[in-house]
Amino acid sequence: MSAPNDDNASAHSQLSSHFFAGLLDSIIVDVASECHRIARLGLDRNLEEEEEELRLSTQARVMVADPSNSGEANSKYVVDIFGQTHPAIANEIFDCMNCGRAIMAGRFAPHLEKCMGKGRKARLKTTRSSTAAQNRYSRSSSVSAYSPYSNSHSVNQAVNGTPGVTGEDYTECTFEET
Amino acid sequence: MSLKNNHRRNGQIPQPCPHLADFRSRNGQKPFRALQECLRVKPLGRAAIRRDPDEVPRCSTCGHYAPSRLYACVACAAVYCHSLPESSHAAFHAESMPTGHEIAVDVDRAELFCCVCRDQVYDRDFDAAVVLAHTAASTLGSRLTLLPPMLPESQKKRRRVDYRPWTPDPKERFLMERDSSPLKRGDEDSSCLPWGLRGLNNLGNTCFMNSVLQALLHTPPLRNYFLSDRHNRFLCQQNSKMGNVNKKNAASHDSNNNKKKNLRLCLACDMDAMFSAFFSGDRKPYSPAKFLYSWWQHAENLASYEQQDAHEFFISMLDGIHEKVEKNQCKPQSQGSGDCCIAHKVFSGILRSDVTCTSCGFTSTTYDPCVDISLDLEPNRGGSAKMASLKSHHGCNGETESCGISTLIGCLDRFTRPERLGSDQKFFCQQCQVRQESLKQMSIRKLPLVSCFHIKRFEHSTTKKMSRKVDRYLQFPFSLDMAPYRSSSILRSRFGNRIFAFEDDDDEPDSSNESSSEFELFAVVTHTGRLDAGHYVTYLRLSNLWYKCDDSWISQVSESIVRAAQGYMVFYVQKILYYKASEKLVSS
Repeated sequence: MSAPNDDNASAHSQLSSHFFAGLLDSIIVDVASECHRIARLGLDRNLEEEEEELRLSTQARVMVADPSNSGEANSKYVVDIFGQTHPAIANEIFDCMNCGRAIMAGRFAPHLEKCMGKGRKARLKTTRSSTAAQNRYSRSSSVSAYSPYSNSHSVNQAVNGTPGVTGEDYTECTFEET
Repeated sequence: MSLKNNHRRNGQIPQPCPHLADFRSRNGQKPFRALQECLRVKPLGRAAIRRDPDEVPRCSTCGHYAPSRLYACVACAAVYCHSLPESSHAAFHAESMPTGHEIAVDVDRAELFCCVCRDQVYDRDFDAAVVLAHTAASTLGSRLTLLPPMLPESQKKRRRVDYRPWTPDPKERFLMERDSSPLKRGDEDSSCLPWGLRGLNNLGNTCFMNSVLQALLHTPPLRNYFLSDRHNRFLCQQNSKMGNVNKKNAASHDSNNNKKKNLRLCLACDMDAMFSAFFSGDRKPYSPAKFLYSWWQHAENLASYEQQDAHEFFISMLDGIHEKVEKNQCKPQSQGSGDCCIAHKVFSGILRSDVTCTSCGFTSTTYDPCVDISLDLEPNRGGSAKMASLKSHHGCNGETESCGISTLIGCLDRFTRPERLGSDQKFFCQQCQVRQESLKQMSIRKLPLVSCFHIKRFEHSTTKKMSRKVDRYLQFPFSLDMAPYRSSSILRSRFGNRIFAFEDDDDEPDSSNESSSEFELFAVVTHTGRLDAGHYVTYLRLSNLWYKCDDSWISQVSESIVRAAQGYMVFYVQKILYYKASEKLVSS
């Protein structure tokens, strides 16, 4: 620290730098003492391994981002590892364990949803087709059975094309890779 | 000074220097324990050595008290400075006095110092005294709460036993050959491909289910359990049939389908069927239709034809396996012990949560079982605090990119760091008897056999009424050491890394637990695309080769693809498994 003209100020700045140096030394020794203990007791983490993993991951990302590399990541599938090909919608046919009908694998979930009476659309469908009949016998029971789902909110959604949206989801799910 | 020579893993005390060894043999542990009275600890502060609480230590030779590097001779309690190595009054004291005054203690840091070696030295009994002083300062009266409170239904520590290989005796061999037929390998191409590798048909927006199933079908302990016939679906259904016959009259609202086909809903049975199918050698993609049907019966609120969250499915499925199995058992199992069902035996661990009063230091501890760990994704700010100082050595300052990458280790560091709870979340301190601001810290009391890390990529904000997906890249290692996140390590670092048996570990406390903290990556479930329209894919590691499982499509990929992928659920298995003595008596 350069000595200012004023003697007083010089003494002050010398004092303050003296104290600062003392505090700094103290902090340095704190850290050194802690690190010494960690190292001596074998508590330090294996930094080499961690850094190696980081390096490998950075390398990998560069390689994958490089368009010249064979598009392993998002390539269109021709054959799988066993030499097989598969259609966009799985075409294995088996019997539904709920109703016994023969169903195609790729359409099993939407079928099962209706078959088991689960999901929004199934409940709506039941409401629409059977509400009229049910109403004849007992209005209250139909309301109690379907009230959470037959409100205007869900009806509107059906009108707005929920099946369409769901269809899109389905498409996205299986055709994502193309 | 070569660190490697003195390197001991995981808190093992290094060899004492000759002067310390001398001191110990002459005085035993008495002087160190006596120092305990001079140990002053402020709550959440560091231990210091003071004869009186208000003492300001000064060097007996020069009178300096700052810059502080003052050492009190353990033998005669005189204080000397060691600020300048050339004119160390502490070293001079050691030299000038007859033997016995070589060991001193840093008055501000409570660290032992050998004035002749001029190096910090370590002693188990001294550290024990420091830890006891810490806890005495922050506990009710003299009750020491170092050992964790007994867990509910205290976990019996079963002995670890050596692995004994088993081979069938002639009678068993005859039975095996008579009642089974060997699996044939397929054609030439498939013969070198691993067993159990098989695609899963997408049944309509079910990639969330397929991705998790692939990971589970190749989870080593789970796979071994089912392939060892530990849950035989035929026996299970048969047993339930007998049970149903008895209860038939009582059960009036059993679902029509079950009555019709006399099938008891059991996700474990469906898993058993899947394992058999997957490891049969058949490479045609499998349709998990029965499993979907069973799961929808179990998880009614999730039963719908739409895309769902793979993690939610994972939790639901484990719960399904647990629920159906536990119904059969009479005795209640302690939470987290994993003795209830295979799902918990494989995945469940125990988390420890410590809430510390910032005013008096009193800590309240709770234990909770968990089947996975959900981690927040935030960018590392220059790495964890522990790594920051060391990272700078490697020129991180210039590489801003590497400092900003999120890493799994960074997430775990964040998960276990002490967190200051807001002033609106004041915790009632039993000692202070008022609500105080507090620190909360998580740690892992018991590591599961298989650790599943769920990266919270889907944010649902109720305030903004929207959800969004976080696409940020997360680096995850292929080998992971969980030791720093164990409760014993976290507690130890809270007490200044003193040598002390902090936690009554589930495993043998004296053996180095490093092997049981080492994990290997074996499956990664990734998500690509948007929150509402995306796709799940699983990468599996079999014999150190990576395979991509994209619904029906199985392909081999390079390691780089996996490293660069967007991990959503990352599965690690313990590298070394140990056997515990069985409680059951096995008939010979």
